[in-house]
Amino acid sequence: MSLELEKVQVRYRGRTLFEPVTISIPKGEIATVMGPSGCGKSTLLAAIAGNLEHGFRVDGRISLNGRELHDTAMENRQVGILFQDDLLFPHFDVYGNLAFGLPAGLKRDVKEQRIMTALERAGLEDFARRDVATLSGGQKARVSLLRTILAEPEAVLLDEPFSRLDMVLRASFREFVHEQTRQRDIPALLVTHDEQDSCGGRIYELRGEELE
Amino acid sequence: MKSRLRVFPLLTLSAFCVPILLGLFGTWLPAFGYLPAIGAEDFNLHNFRELFVHPAFPGALRASLISGFGATLLALFCSIWITLSIYGSLLWRLLVRLLSPLLAVPHAAFAIGFTFLVAPSGLLVRCISPELTGFAAPPDWQTVKDPYGLSLTLALACKEIPFLLLMCISGLNQLDIRRTDWIGRSLGYSRVRIWTRLVLPRLYPQLRLPVLAVLAYSLSVVDVAIILGPSLPPTLAVLVDRWFNDADVTSRLLGAAGATWLFLLVACSIGLFLAAEKLITTCAAGRLVNGSRTTVLDKVRWLGNTLAVAVMAVSALCFIVLLIWSFARSYRFPDLLPTMYSLQFWTKGLDHATEPLYITFVVGALATCAGIILVIGCLENEVRMQQRGRRANGQQIMWLVYMPLLVPQIAFLFGIQTSAVLLHLEGKWLSMVGIHLVFVLPYIFLTLSNVYRSFDARYMQVAVALSGSPIQSFFRVKLPMLLKPVAFAMATGFAVSVAQYLPTMYIGAGRFMTITTETVSLAGGSDRRVIAVYALCQFLLPLLVYCLALFLPAWLFRQRKAMQN
Repeated sequence: MSLELEKVQVRYRGRTLFEPVTISIPKGEIATVMGPSGCGKSTLLAAIAGNLEHGFRVDGRISLNGRELHDTAMENRQVGILFQDDLLFPHFDVYGNLAFGLPAGLKRDVKEQRIMTALERAGLEDFARRDVATLSGGQKARVSLLRTILAEPEAVLLDEPFSRLDMVLRASFREFVHEQTRQRDIPALLVTHDEQDSCGGRIYELRGEELE
Repeated sequence: MKSRLRVFPLLTLSAFCVPILLGLFGTWLPAFGYLPAIGAEDFNLHNFRELFVHPAFPGALRASLISGFGATLLALFCSIWITLSIYGSLLWRLLVRLLSPLLAVPHAAFAIGFTFLVAPSGLLVRCISPELTGFAAPPDWQTVKDPYGLSLTLALACKEIPFLLLMCISGLNQLDIRRTDWIGRSLGYSRVRIWTRLVLPRLYPQLRLPVLAVLAYSLSVVDVAIILGPSLPPTLAVLVDRWFNDADVTSRLLGAAGATWLFLLVACSIGLFLAAEKLITTCAAGRLVNGSRTTVLDKVRWLGNTLAVAVMAVSALCFIVLLIWSFARSYRFPDLLPTMYSLQFWTKGLDHATEPLYITFVVGALATCAGIILVIGCLENEVRMQQRGRRANGQQIMWLVYMPLLVPQIAFLFGIQTSAVLLHLEGKWLSMVGIHLVFVLPYIFLTLSNVYRSFDARYMQVAVALSGSPIQSFFRVKLPMLLKPVAFAMATGFAVSVAQYLPTMYIGAGRFMTITTETVSLAGGSDRRVIAVYALCQFLLPLLVYCLALFLPAWLFRQRKAMQN
């Protein structure tokens, strides 16, 4: 169960970008996909999220908790994504960014309570009304992850989320990511080119095929 | 070099501020009864009183408001809906490629093509006649020149959509749309919701000034309104234009009052638009984060594809219908195509159009060259100031650049005309080029500024280090590397100059007939085949220059792969 990739391959104009990968991630674990830059790691994530650009094709099976993802529209896959850039929405404050992630139809007090609890766990309880542009790199990363988690995804994809942070922040943010996914008991897939980023789960290697 | 560059912003500012301010005051004084040239020397409100009780005034005001607000809102809605539904698709890429030629079409030529398309005897009715309609003669409909200005509204909207789309593109390039879309959808939001909640709030600030320019233009346009607008009464701008050119010189006072009133109307409309924007953002702020993932609007997303195709089709048809008419000899209703073709209208038309074409070309070329020198000087000055740590206020600069596009032409041209007469500058090449420069400058600045600012400064550092001369480095390294965008900006400036109608009429003193003024005056009641030839000339001239601007740099650097993009 949980996130399963079976012989997944991405093709672009008849060429395959990398050798087929088979990955199985149990709930609460963060698996790591390693590979040099340009080998198609981000493309693999786009394939799982359903966000491949026009002209790309996916072979193999991708399933999440028994659901086949292949024909599911991106917005219905319930796969969260975290990039190396925080991509917080600059026209909302911290609270607005988190509220944007919450499901619709919640009562105002439920909403507020969920956001405040999340912020407290992240040690950011005083930052609710802050402009996101004034946050530090580490704070932005945390808010960004909280936003992803608050949308209650069934899996999270992490696209080199640590590479913009310095060594000290990196360790604490990695711990934070681990804690959050374990708490929600969801599988996560991390892609990176740096072995040290691994969060304790299994490590897979992605071998790219030469592209001109 | 450094200190000398500082002249450029000053020169540029005065190149358009002085004429506009002079023109506004020169219009306001006669509006309040002061025009010594015709013996009116006391200040009073008499002209305004006369304006408000004039029988044509209410109808003219209504037509102006309908076409002004209607065209702006329609163009804004359509361009946003088009980007929302097709951004990134194949259709989008096609549309982007077609934008430059669409923008190069002068308003007057477009309006004439539009008339030939939708008129009761136009191509659209011919397409379905007599099979579907049974018409053997053109129906008695008022599909053009309707009293409410609806055809005018539609044509203006069609013409402004490409402009707003272009502005959307440059705004979207600054946002990371692909990943914003990814995050939005991974959080479960639909495309429409992502655009209304994540993209538009950040895109609209980039669109604000262009939209206001469209509003000011649509409220005060004269040439298109003469061709397509209502006639009894016409729109306010056309009415004012008529008063200014009335044989009875006292009508000029009434015209000045009307022009001043139109200026106020545009100013208030801009204020209203800004207030409405503020109100909408304030009211929507809370709703943006209410978590709702889908909307009924998702079901009509496809409308954007239809709109995009419609905009392209209308523009293409306008061109085709002009072509058909220009080669027609016998073209009776309800035949879809002419029964006899002939070149005689082209040979005759070109014969007569030689001088107007020559004048148009020279004025356009001179104004464009002056414009590009001023704009490059300003931008280079800005870049160097920035290197020394002084930042210019971008927002303020943009408001200044847009000034000639926000003040209605008819509201200050009369004042310039009277000033030019006083200074003996009326009908001179210098004043013609000067007045065209006012409108050419903003467009050159808008097309060039982004590329120019993002030029990698290290190339200049390397070049200066090697040659020891900033001037040499500029002419031998920076300018050649920027040749493509510079050529494109010049082509845009030239197209703008070609399209000018009112400035040529008011400053030319009848001595300067350009292809545009000829086309508009012919459109009143000449043979359609002659009009078509003139409209095509007016369209082909800027298009030719656009092609030159695309191919010349590509040919010069044909053996330099990195210079091709």
